Amino acid sequence: MNQLRITGGSVYDPANAVDGDVRDICIEDGRIVASLPDSAPRLDARGMVVMPGGVDMHCHVASSSVNVARRLLPEDHSLHPAAAPVLDHEGEVPRSGADGTVPTTFTTGYRYAGLGYTTVFDAAVAPVMARTAHSQLDDTPIVDGGFFALLGNDDYLLRLVDSGDRERAREYAAWVLASVGAYAIKIVNPAGVELWKRGTKEHTGLDTALGSSRVTPRAILETLVDAANALQLPHAAHIHCNNLGLPGNSATTLATMAALDGRRAHFTHLQFHSYGMTPEGRWRSAAREIVEYVNTHQHVSGDVGQVMFGPAATITADAPVEYLLHKSSGRKWANVDIELETGCGVVPHEYRDRNAVAALQWAIGLELFLLSSDPWRLVLSTDHPNGGSFKSYPELIRLLMDRVYRDEQIARVERKLLAGSALADGIRREYSLREIAIITRAGPARLLGLRNKGHLGVGADADVTIYVPDDNRATMFSTPRYVVKEGVLVVEEGQLRRAPAGHRLHVRPSFDPGVNRDIERYFDQYGTVRFANYPVTGVRDSPLPVGGR
Amino acid sequence: MTQPSVTSNVTCLGCGCACDDIDVIVERDRIVDARNACALGRRWFGDGQVPSAIRVDGADVSLEQAVSSAATRLCEATRPFVYVAPALSCEAQREAAGIADILRARLDSVTSSTALLGTLAAQEHGSASATLGELRNRADVVVFWAVDIEGRYPRFASRYAPGPPGVYVPDGRRSRTVLAVDIGRATATVDSDVRVAIEPADELATLIALEAFIRSPDTSGNLAALADAPRNTARELATALLAARYTALVYDAEPDDRSERTSVRFEALVSLAQALNDRTRCAALGLRAGGNRSGADSVFVAQTGYPCAIDFARGYPRYVPYAGTAVDVLRRREADVVLVAGDRTSFPGDIAASLANVYSVVIGPHASTAASGARGVIIDTGIDGIHASGTALRTDDVPLPLRASLNGPRSTAETIRAVASGIRHVLSSARSARPMALGS
Repeated sequence: MNQLRITGGSVYDPANAVDGDVRDICIEDGRIVASLPDSAPRLDARGMVVMPGGVDMHCHVASSSVNVARRLLPEDHSLHPAAAPVLDHEGEVPRSGADGTVPTTFTTGYRYAGLGYTTVFDAAVAPVMARTAHSQLDDTPIVDGGFFALLGNDDYLLRLVDSGDRERAREYAAWVLASVGAYAIKIVNPAGVELWKRGTKEHTGLDTALGSSRVTPRAILETLVDAANALQLPHAAHIHCNNLGLPGNSATTLATMAALDGRRAHFTHLQFHSYGMTPEGRWRSAAREIVEYVNTHQHVSGDVGQVMFGPAATITADAPVEYLLHKSSGRKWANVDIELETGCGVVPHEYRDRNAVAALQWAIGLELFLLSSDPWRLVLSTDHPNGGSFKSYPELIRLLMDRVYRDEQIARVERKLLAGSALADGIRREYSLREIAIITRAGPARLLGLRNKGHLGVGADADVTIYVPDDNRATMFSTPRYVVKEGVLVVEEGQLRRAPAGHRLHVRPSFDPGVNRDIERYFDQYGTVRFANYPVTGVRDSPLPVGGR
Repeated sequence: MTQPSVTSNVTCLGCGCACDDIDVIVERDRIVDARNACALGRRWFGDGQVPSAIRVDGADVSLEQAVSSAATRLCEATRPFVYVAPALSCEAQREAAGIADILRARLDSVTSSTALLGTLAAQEHGSASATLGELRNRADVVVFWAVDIEGRYPRFASRYAPGPPGVYVPDGRRSRTVLAVDIGRATATVDSDVRVAIEPADELATLIALEAFIRSPDTSGNLAALADAPRNTARELATALLAARYTALVYDAEPDDRSERTSVRFEALVSLAQALNDRTRCAALGLRAGGNRSGADSVFVAQTGYPCAIDFARGYPRYVPYAGTAVDVLRRREADVVLVAGDRTSFPGDIAASLANVYSVVIGPHASTAASGARGVIIDTGIDGIHASGTALRTDDVPLPLRASLNGPRSTAETIRAVASGIRHVLSSARSARPMALGS
């Protein structure tokens, strides 16, 4: 039996109302247990901070689109070679790779684990490309992972929206998730990507008609949000609103939230959707309005999508955004329209602290964090690698926890567009360790509906991260002393030692098999992949329960 | 009498189209028909008969002995080289890349000698592309740029474009305008509405003029320095492209020897496609030949960051496309042991010739058929997609399942995995047997 007692650490387990109490954590066979015999091996964590393993609910690490970005960036890889780690276990083959803004698969797993993260979700996978996402996750060791299936511009779904048949749309969504081994429904710029594919370059409003007046972003959102809830999926529909990155888009974001009022829904990378516009047409922060809405509406959740200064790679299914970014920045651009499902665009980018828009984006993200009244519902992300790398999370945590440091950084950035921003006016708030534990593990796990993640109660997966306290919170969070994944000590004394394979997190909601016939007919009529060849077989691990079953 | 067995929805790797609607008929352990397949597909499936030899330096041995010899030889090499040939599943390609990494070897595939120029152009400039389903369902103008569709991608026209009806082109061929562009001898072998002939020497000038017309249709005056022929051709093409809702620009990513290969052609095609998106929509797609070539690129990119021409000598992948491709390495005799994974009968000619000079471990279908000389380790395997299941990528990176329709020899992926495990065993016993260095 594989046992470990982590002794004497200050435990931050907000899901179980444990706030820095000194107590032991007992692990047996990969799970947290109530107690262990005295003879069990011990890990001395006295003076250290013990948290559940980190959970990243929105990043781009395993998909055909991430590979488009990797392929586009040889110059970035060559500057950031990643030698293979030295591992202690014969069966685990250490692999080299490339680091930088879009790390290669194995390196991604090692880096996440090195930061104390043990669960990650790729937020945007075209269902037809699911096999590629699975194979990349198979090569991303240590972390448990899954992905969200893009449905907001899916031609077959749009037909069902047009016909007003929401029940069938729900069954279709269930069929897609079950067929490709996805975890949740993702909506990216509903209708807007399809409009781009049809050649429209106009902005998409909530009621912009897509051909038929019945097919609007509003109708698509309602259909898929209701589907996720009716199917009792563990995670709500994951929404990337229309008009990402455009000044004045906060109106769209608020209208979208209002349209879905009362429904469980997750709004992702809100920073990119919180831009106001002054009467003169200049950018301004609309973080206050957005976060106020989130604060006062219990069904709504979000992640921030913080911008961090430095190089980034923008990778999104929101292909029209990448076209605009390419035109405005002049950086190289890759676009792939993905058959009848979605889009894909990639443009390398750099956020500079002396650039007024980048500084505003940075400030808006921090405002969202600092004005949020419920850390359980507004959690940490950089939309890796769009707003910055996941490797910058420790720096972001420092900005949230250390007001003096934050004020120093504010003084350095271009402030031209910061007039009226709450951050420029001075926000005193500093996140506590408990709140950090919420926004980086307990909160995302709860929003994802992962019952065994993000906490250290009996029965939870034994994913534990142990930090040495340091006044410099970036130092503290960038080099955990120990990381335990499913009971295995993967980081020891700050060094990666083990790299076991991670698990696949996916759902297989049941659906009315009657939908098969019409979907097959549609495949026969318009598809280039046979209906029989669409489902992914042999997905690693059993699906997670849906609807409490 | 045994009844013939039918395996349906089989993916064909005869070319990059990866048609997945093949019915493979097997009778008495032979493939007797591959329904729906084109000539290339029928050649790909053949009768499914492959040799099943296992040899070390000319002597028949057991699989265990061959795997052990392969591992030992590869570990003893000073400059090992892993060459991924066509006809491997992505699963097998992942294993092969892993061997290159742990051996600190060089790693390459046929991409470097067939599609490198287009790859480099895309890395420099990006792309404006789409998967084939978008071409099928949207493209109202289809341009075939000097590509031998009929000979090299026979079912492209009937499966993707311009033949089949699509969501926005309900009448199929009749809903579309097809432009065929011939560059010298490199004719676009397709039934077209408009055919344009361009002298090879004028190709680049035409593309540049075409892009200029697209970027600002009234700039004709600025192109006065251009000769009449390219200017007129460009104007004609520009008019057609600007009238399109969605243009598909189809070319060969692996140009055959009918035309010059230049990187500027690929750069100009990418740039043209991107420029068209200012005015309308356009997706350019370079087609790859058979055997899951796109799969190798994708696997290498995911694991190393680079699509081909990779060197792990420093303990991490380096991209060496200008002087470190398989052809360069073999010509300079820089490799002392080569692991060839895949079908060696499908090599580019220059590689096959150079490999004869190097000690080779060959794991793949037909390994023994093409073996030259007695030296080396030969392990015949089945063909992924005929004898073994797995995954392959279509030319547009859409992943498809490979189905086994026939029993065959051992799978390539499993054999490579066994060699990888043998290599790890050799390396770890070497480490533990090594005397302690002074002072350590």
